[in-house]
Amino acid sequence: MKNIISEAFLTVLLFFAIWFGLSNINWMEILKVKEQKVKTEEKLGTMILDNFFDSSTEIKEENILNSIDSIFTKICDKNNIDKNSIKLHVVNNEKINAFAIPGQHIVLFSGLIEECNNPEELSGVISHELAHIQLNHVMKRLIKEIGLSVIVSLTTGNGGTDIVPEITKLLSASAFDRKLENDADLKAVDYLTKAKINPEAFANFLYKLSYEDDDKLDILTWVSTHDDSKLRAENIINYMPKDSTEYQKVIHEYTWSELKVSLQNWGND
Amino acid sequence: MIYKTEFDYKPDEHENERASNSYIMSLVALMAGLPLPIINLIATLIFYVGNLRSTYFVRWHCIQALLSQVSVLIMNSFAFWWTISIFFGSDLINNNYISYIMVVFLFNLTEFIATVYTAIQTRKGIHVEWWLYGRLANILCKS
Repeated sequence: MKNIISEAFLTVLLFFAIWFGLSNINWMEILKVKEQKVKTEEKLGTMILDNFFDSSTEIKEENILNSIDSIFTKICDKNNIDKNSIKLHVVNNEKINAFAIPGQHIVLFSGLIEECNNPEELSGVISHELAHIQLNHVMKRLIKEIGLSVIVSLTTGNGGTDIVPEITKLLSASAFDRKLENDADLKAVDYLTKAKINPEAFANFLYKLSYEDDDKLDILTWVSTHDDSKLRAENIINYMPKDSTEYQKVIHEYTWSELKVSLQNWGND
Repeated sequence: MIYKTEFDYKPDEHENERASNSYIMSLVALMAGLPLPIINLIATLIFYVGNLRSTYFVRWHCIQALLSQVSVLIMNSFAFWWTISIFFGSDLINNNYISYIMVVFLFNLTEFIATVYTAIQTRKGIHVEWWLYGRLANILCKS
């Protein structure tokens, strides 16, 4: 019996010793895991974007993009996020919608920007989508709902591209589950607080959406239900810092008004 | 580690074949059961139950084959659920995971080679005792 215990102990010890020894080697670097992951996401993101822009028009007017970029830059800089690794797209669509795509893309609908009463509300939406990217929610959701094998075969060219419209629809027209949305909301509050942007505006925006018409609001995307939207607003208020943080204007009021006017006039010129 | 030892008696041709089959069963089940590790354990368990009334030599090797699957089951189950949590949950691939998969692969490979070797030897009527499992089989299997 003594021999059995000592042999069992030695076997377990050997197992953990090899595991410990191997874990001291940087396999992530040697196997280039991160690079492969980034490449796969970028390829998938490009496929989805191409598919999405087949039926949507991207706004590329400098006036509009520069104002949004100012907000985006401030959030990224204050949170040590590499701004250049994330690509922002503005789409001409009256629906209230925004979503993140693999490969670090954020798509904002013009309808959502027009719905925002101030730049702080828009900052909240951008921070929320940024949080989905930083928390790796997009890929996790795709793996869960589409399957890793489909994604790998799609990006390596071994499978058909018939599924791309389905993935595009999934990301652009349905919300994440409640837990992921809540995680992204709270992370967005952290980003906003660090950038000295009042998170209350983000809560106000969500609260406002709970009274919005279903046809204007892409109801399944940005908020699952009206009740969800109210609950999320309350969670943000409960989570935001209670101390007397001095918040600042994210962009000048004039720049904001110019952005709104440019959006309204876009396409009429 | 594997030891060739003398068995209490000289098994006949029929016993050699059955004892050898208990190891082959675990190999076939391993291939069929991947990635669910429980399949091999169930297969060897069924084979063991089917040979409960068999001779001492056959039962002894069925037990050794069965015991070897228990440790593989624990290791592989952990690897399986860790992988699932990476694909579908919130875990991310890291050095610990990659190292664990390597150790599991190494132990599985060792076990695979040992199983093939033991299947060949028992077919020839040579009694082979494995490190740890051989001693356990000696306690569990009564003549």
